[in-house]
Amino acid sequence: MIRWHVPRKVGWIDLLLVAGLAGLLFVVVDFAREWTGVYRPTIEIDLSPSALPLYTLFSLTRGFIAYGISLAFTLAYGYWAAKDHAAERVLVPLLDILQSIPVLGFMPALVVTLVAAFPSNNVGLELAAIVMIFTGQAWNMTFSFYHSLRSIPADVSEAATAFRFSGWQRFKWVELPFSTTGLVWNSMMSMAGGWFFLMISESFRLGDKDFRLPGIGAYMSVAVDRGNVLAMIEALVAMVAMIVVIDQIVWRPVVAWAQKFRVEEGGSATEVSSWFLSWLRRSRIIAGVERVMHRLTSRTTQRKVRASRENAAFATHRTATILSRLVLVVVVGLLAFGAWSLVRVLRDVSVGEWGGLAGSAGLTLSRVLVSTALGTLWTLPLGLAIGLSPRLSRILQPVVQVVASFPAPMLFPLIIAALAISHVPLGVGSVVLMLLGTQWYILFNVIAGAMAIPSDLREAASAYRIRGWHRFWSLYFPGVFPFLVTGWVTAAGGAWNASIVAEYVTFHGRVLRTDGLGARISSAAAQARIPLLVASVLVMSAVVVIFNRTVWRRCYELAESRFSLSR
Amino acid sequence: MVEPSVATCAPTILCEARGVSHDFTMPNKQTLRVLENVDLAIRANEVVALLGPSGCGKSTILRILAGLVHQTQGEVLYHGQPLVGLNPGVAIVFQSFALFPWMTVAENVSAVLVAAGLPTPAIEERVAKVIRLVGLGGFKDAHPRQLSGGMKQRVGIARALAVDPEVLFLDEPFSQVDALTAESLRAELIDIWSAAHRNPLSVLMVSHNIEEVVFMADRIVILGANPGRVLTCVDNPLPRPRDFRSTKVQQLVEHLHDIITHAHMPDVATPPLATPPIGIEPIPAVSSGEIVGLLEYLDARAGRGELFGIAGDTNKEFGRTIAVVKAAEMLDFVDTPGRLVILEADGRRFVKAGPAERKTIWREQLLKLRLFRTVFDMIQRQPDHEIEKDLVLETIVMNMPQENYNKIFDTFLRWSRVGGLFAYDEDTQRLSIPSP
Repeated sequence: MIRWHVPRKVGWIDLLLVAGLAGLLFVVVDFAREWTGVYRPTIEIDLSPSALPLYTLFSLTRGFIAYGISLAFTLAYGYWAAKDHAAERVLVPLLDILQSIPVLGFMPALVVTLVAAFPSNNVGLELAAIVMIFTGQAWNMTFSFYHSLRSIPADVSEAATAFRFSGWQRFKWVELPFSTTGLVWNSMMSMAGGWFFLMISESFRLGDKDFRLPGIGAYMSVAVDRGNVLAMIEALVAMVAMIVVIDQIVWRPVVAWAQKFRVEEGGSATEVSSWFLSWLRRSRIIAGVERVMHRLTSRTTQRKVRASRENAAFATHRTATILSRLVLVVVVGLLAFGAWSLVRVLRDVSVGEWGGLAGSAGLTLSRVLVSTALGTLWTLPLGLAIGLSPRLSRILQPVVQVVASFPAPMLFPLIIAALAISHVPLGVGSVVLMLLGTQWYILFNVIAGAMAIPSDLREAASAYRIRGWHRFWSLYFPGVFPFLVTGWVTAAGGAWNASIVAEYVTFHGRVLRTDGLGARISSAAAQARIPLLVASVLVMSAVVVIFNRTVWRRCYELAESRFSLSR
Repeated sequence: MVEPSVATCAPTILCEARGVSHDFTMPNKQTLRVLENVDLAIRANEVVALLGPSGCGKSTILRILAGLVHQTQGEVLYHGQPLVGLNPGVAIVFQSFALFPWMTVAENVSAVLVAAGLPTPAIEERVAKVIRLVGLGGFKDAHPRQLSGGMKQRVGIARALAVDPEVLFLDEPFSQVDALTAESLRAELIDIWSAAHRNPLSVLMVSHNIEEVVFMADRIVILGANPGRVLTCVDNPLPRPRDFRSTKVQQLVEHLHDIITHAHMPDVATPPLATPPIGIEPIPAVSSGEIVGLLEYLDARAGRGELFGIAGDTNKEFGRTIAVVKAAEMLDFVDTPGRLVILEADGRRFVKAGPAERKTIWREQLLKLRLFRTVFDMIQRQPDHEIEKDLVLETIVMNMPQENYNKIFDTFLRWSRVGGLFAYDEDTQRLSIPSP
C-alpha cells in the first residue's frame, strides 16, 4: 500500500540539485541575519497539567495546517511532474533529494528568516514551526501522488480522452480517485512523520537565542530542561491521547471511506470499518450537507463545461505548456543561483573541518546500519507472527499503527536517563535512540509482506513438511523481502534524521554529545555556525542520496527480479 | 455531438482512412512499423469488422480513426473533412471495459454525459434510457467490481450509446467475456443497431473471432500482420438474423478460413507475400510447450488435423494457432498443405521418443535453423566458449530489422533451453554451450 520511489543512478543533475538546494538555504539565512536582533516576546511555558489540553490543541492545529499545505503542495507538484515531461526530469530527482535532506537542516534558516519577517510578534515562529512539520510530511505524499498519476491504466485514461473529459473532469473523476488509496495511506504516514521533530520545532535554540511556541512539544522540552518527570509523563500521555483521537476521528473514517476507490477486483482485502464514519453516515445533518454540496458542485462543473467548450482544447494546452516552462526556468534559475552561493559560503569551511565531517559521516553511517540491522532482527520474527495470523493482525495492526505514529524523540529523555544510570555511553546509546524511532517502519512493512504471502504457497510448504529454518529461508524471507527493502529504506532515512537529535542531547540543562554527523549538525545550529551547518547538512544529504542510489537500489532490483510475487 | 445531416440516403462515407501508415517508437528508440498503407472507409448503415490475428495493428486502426492516436503518414477524413483531434461522431467500447471502479453504473454513464455538456434533467433521462436498453435496469447503483464481465461490458456499451454516436467503435468487445454471454451480447447489439432509427448509423468492430464477424458484419476487412495491412475485403450480404447451422454462413466461414490460411501460411509454390529482407526467418513467439502440444494433438488424431479445427479444439485464437503451426513447420515437425496440418517423420519420431531423446531431436532440429546455427558457430569460435547477450541481439537486429528483438531473443532462449543447446546466465548476461 505504501509506494516507495525506486531510486535511480546518481547523475549530474542530482549533484546540481543538492548543491542548488543547499546553497539556497544559505542565501535565505544570509539575507535574514541582517534582520535579527529585533524585539521578540518570549513565551513562558506553564507546566501545570491544566495548561496541557490547550497546548495539545495548539500543536494539533499546527499539524493540520501543515498537512493542508502538504496536500496542496502534493497535488500541484505531483500533477506538474506527471504532466510535463520536461519538468519531470528536474522535479522528480529534486523531490528525491528534498526527502533526503535532514528536515532539521531547514530549521535554522527558516526560523531566522521568518522571525525576521515578523519582528514584533510570533507569526514568523509559528510559520517556521508549520513549515518544519510540512517538510516532514510532504515528500512521500508527493511521490505517492506522482506514481499514482503515472500508473493510471492506459485504457481508463483513453476512455477519458475518448469521452472528452475536460482537464478538471479528468482530475476529479479519474486522476484523484485513482490516487486516493495511496494518498490516504501516505497521509497517515506523513502525519506521524510530521510529529517527529515537534519538540524541536516548538522550542528551538540558535546561538544564544531561544525560540519558543506554546505547544505540547515545547511543554516537553521545558519539562526535560527542568527535570520535571511528572510533567514529562503528562506530556507523553497527552501525545498518545492526541494520536489515538486523530486515528479514530480522522484516519480510520478516511480509510474506511477511501475503500470505494480501491482499484483491484474482488473483495479479498479485509474491509476497514470505522464507528465514527458509520455514525456520520447515519447523521441526517451530514446527509443534508452532502446533498447541498453535490448540487453546488454539479452546477459549477456545468458552467465550466460551457466555458471550456468555447475555447479550443489545443490553445489551452499551449498556454499550459508555456506557463509550465516559464515556472521551470525560474526553478532551475533559483537552483543555479543557490549552487553559486553555496560555493561562496563553503569557502569558509576549512579542509580540516571537511575531514572531520567525513569521519563523522562514517560513524553515523555505521550507527544507522547497526540500528537498521537490530530493528530487522526483532521485527522480522514478530512481524511474520503478526502478519501470518489473521487474528493477531486484526488486533495488533491498529496498535502498531498508533505506536509508530508516536514521535520517538519525546521518549528520548526517559531513555537517556536510563542509559545514564546504567553507564552506557551516548555513542552506543544513540543507536538505541535511532532504533526507537525507526524500527516501526520495518515492522509495518514485514506485517504487510507476511499478509501478502499467497496462501497456496503456505499450503504447499505445509503439505511438503517444510518446517523451521528451512521454511523461513525458502518461503517467508523471500516472500517479505520486497517489503523488507521498503522498510529498510524508510527506516534508514529515519535513522539519519534521528541522528541529529540522538547524537546531541540536551538533558537537564546539560549537553550530552558523541561524535557523529548528526551531532555536528546540531552543534553547528546551536552555535549558529552557518557555513559549518550548511556543510554538514550537505554531507548528510549526499551520503543519503549516494547510499539510496547504490545499495538500496541494488536491493530494489533484486526484489523486483527475484522475489516479486506478482510476476 | 454533430447532427447527422443525412439520415438515410445513398451510402455516404462517414469516416475514412487513406493511405494510413503508423510507426511505434519502442523504449529503446527502435521504430516498428505497425500499419502500412491502410485504406478503409466506413459507410452509413453498415457493420464493418476488422479481422486479424493479434499484433496486426487492428486496434491501432480503430484508435487512429477515433482520433486517439495520430497516424505517422496518410490522412483520416470525417465526413470528407480532415480529422483534427478526436473524432466527434465516435464512441468506443473498450476490450477491458475501462469503467471507473469508484463510480456506480449510473455514474459511469452520466459522467460522459456531463463531459458532453448536457443539462442535468436530460442526463438523468438519457442514463435511465440506455441502462434500460442494455438490460441493466436493476443494477443502476452497483459498482463495477460487483458485476460479471458480461455485465461490465453492458455498462461499457450503455456508456458508448449514451453519447449518441454516429459510429460505434467496438474494440474486441467480447474477448474478455465468457462465450455464452458473448453470444447473447452480440445478438442484442445487432438488435440495438438495426432498431435504431438514427444513431448509431454504423458500427466498426475489431475482432479475431471468425464466427463473430460472420455473425455481425456486413463487410469483413481481413488484415495481415508485420506490418499490419489490408489483405482483402469480403462482403457479407447474408440476411439477419444469421443462423450458424445454415450452409450459407458455414460457406462464408470456410471462405474466410481459406483466405486467412493463404495469407498467413502460403504453400511453398505460391510466392511469399513478404520475404524477410536478409535471409533469416523470424521465429514465432510461441513456447515449446505449445509446439509439443500440437504434435501430441496430431499424433492422437492419426497425424493430421485442420488448422481451424485445431484452433477450435484447443480454444485458441486462430492467429495463435497459426503461429504454433508455423513454428512446428520451421522445425520440420509438420507439413501444411493448404489448411491441413500433417505430422512429418521427424515430428512422429519426436512424439514417440522419451525425454532424453526428445531433447536430442529438438537440438538437432534447432541447429537446422539459421539463427541458432549462427549463434552456435559464434560461440564455438570464442576461446572461452561464451558470448554476450548483446551479440545475439545484434545478430537478430541485423537479420530481421522488422522484428522486436527482445521478443525474438526470449523465444530463442526458451527454445534453446528446451534442447539444452545454450545455457544463459542472467547475472552475467552471457550465453554458453552446456557440457552434456
